[in-house]
Amino acid sequence: MNLPSFVSRHQFLIYRLFSLSGLIPVGAFLVVHLLTNASVLGGAASFQSRVDMIHSLGPLLVPVEFAFIFLPMLFHAAVGFAIIAGGLPNVGSYPYMGNVRYTLQRATGMIAFAFILWHIIQLHWMGAPLGGGRFDPHHATSSAATVVAPLGISLLYAIGVLSAVFHLSNGLWTIGITWGLWTSPAAMQRANVVSIVVGVVLAAAGLGAIGGLRATDVAAARQIETRMDDFKRMMEGQAPEAAAGGHGAPASTATVPAADAIELRTLSEPSRLVVPATSPSPAGN
Amino acid sequence: MIMKTNDHDQGGQTAARTIPVRVLRQDAPGQESYWERHDVPWEPNMNVISVLQKVAARARSQDGRPVAPVAWDCNCLEEVCGSCTMLINGRTRMACSALVDRVLEEHPDGIELRPMSKFPVVRDLVVDRRRLFHSLERVKAWVPVDDSFDHGPGPRISPEEQEEAYPLSECMSCGCCLEACPQFTRIETPRREGETDEHLAARRTAAYDQGFIGAHAVSQAVLFNKHPTGRMIADDRMTALTAPGGIQMCGNAQNCVAVCPKHIPLTRSIARAGRAATLWALKKLFDR
Repeated sequence: MNLPSFVSRHQFLIYRLFSLSGLIPVGAFLVVHLLTNASVLGGAASFQSRVDMIHSLGPLLVPVEFAFIFLPMLFHAAVGFAIIAGGLPNVGSYPYMGNVRYTLQRATGMIAFAFILWHIIQLHWMGAPLGGGRFDPHHATSSAATVVAPLGISLLYAIGVLSAVFHLSNGLWTIGITWGLWTSPAAMQRANVVSIVVGVVLAAAGLGAIGGLRATDVAAARQIETRMDDFKRMMEGQAPEAAAGGHGAPASTATVPAADAIELRTLSEPSRLVVPATSPSPAGN
Repeated sequence: MIMKTNDHDQGGQTAARTIPVRVLRQDAPGQESYWERHDVPWEPNMNVISVLQKVAARARSQDGRPVAPVAWDCNCLEEVCGSCTMLINGRTRMACSALVDRVLEEHPDGIELRPMSKFPVVRDLVVDRRRLFHSLERVKAWVPVDDSFDHGPGPRISPEEQEEAYPLSECMSCGCCLEACPQFTRIETPRREGETDEHLAARRTAAYDQGFIGAHAVSQAVLFNKHPTGRMIADDRMTALTAPGGIQMCGNAQNCVAVCPKHIPLTRSIARAGRAATLWALKKLFDR
């Protein structure tokens, strides 16, 4: 099959799938991702319980991640770069608001792509061979807080998050024009207000998560996470983390022995456990 | 530096005020372009066309060397024919309605004239806008009544429909929307060594067929798909709008509507065509 000819014959379909993929699933994922992260503002336990919920998919998580996040994102990025290459920004000659947004949409798309690549290598387990993979799902808050602790890293995260949020909220507005949802200038204006509100909320959630992680007491978060993890393992009839000798996760999971001793003691006192809302309560079992 | 009223040239005394004009010239297709400066004597009520007439009449460079008169396109001189589009101080607009005093209010340093950048230059400020008309052919921007039979009176068009259609019908094919569009990029097919006219024309048409049709053609497709008789070939237009280079190429920069000299609601047309294309694609997917 001749690829350039195939692509050119199905240009309309590819561009519409590109437009759709930006909203569903990539945009929807970004919303869930940022709101999940913002839960760190409610404390380490609150974030950990949400991470646990996601990881309760178990072996299904990997195919779900690839089918609904990585592959659609790669498709959106590949078509996006082709579109950027075919355009000729002229905001210098025509500095209209729409044109500024057109140019920013492309700039933020490229920034977000580079950021996401770096972000995945740094935190996702796939990045481990490259020296990354530093997010530990059993210690969500403390491992993430350790990563964003340097101010420079936090600033890069802020830039990346704001780029992705602008790209999504501006894209929300253009998607509605592309598919013909809002057609009149007045309707476009109303949709614009909605997309700005969405953008502001998501930006607040994203920056809030970074701020929340920066404000986290890593050692305290670790204790909470270990306690929750041990409790979970107890419910599943497994030995607690200290006895099992870790999960085979990065070296950072090897906790301070003294702290483990304290946590093992706390296990015998269910009333002192930090129980996430979504986990089965001790009384119910 | 120029404006200080001295309305009449009294008693053969030359008005001291001149307008610095810079023209980007090009002798023939594919040749190097070069800037030429002319100081044009100011007169009341000038437009850019009358400036060009003075530049052409003088046909000399600043140092008095004879030069070929500058070439440009114009016709109606009242912003309805769409032929005198050029870049005036970097922005696409009609030269006839570019009043010199207004232009100088924005740019006191003078007037800079360049040919449109999205079309191949024929000579100086004259460009080859065949692609613009080819786009109109692609979307069949006409009502198909091409015979001599009496078909009786056509269907009635309500005043509401007329009011929607009239602004779209004002399009004069000036190309401003295309010039300002960041998604509409120049396609030039220079003649190859020993190439026949037929072969060149075929190659050019094939290249144009792959390029973005542009806001003007989208809007005309919307206009004629609304028209009760024009609607009879609506499917042909939808096929063209969703073909390679169709409506999907729009990047929503919305420069088209910002520069349109006739204030045609081009982005509304684009969004309506987008909606029609969505429904058309669904119909194609499920009705076949």
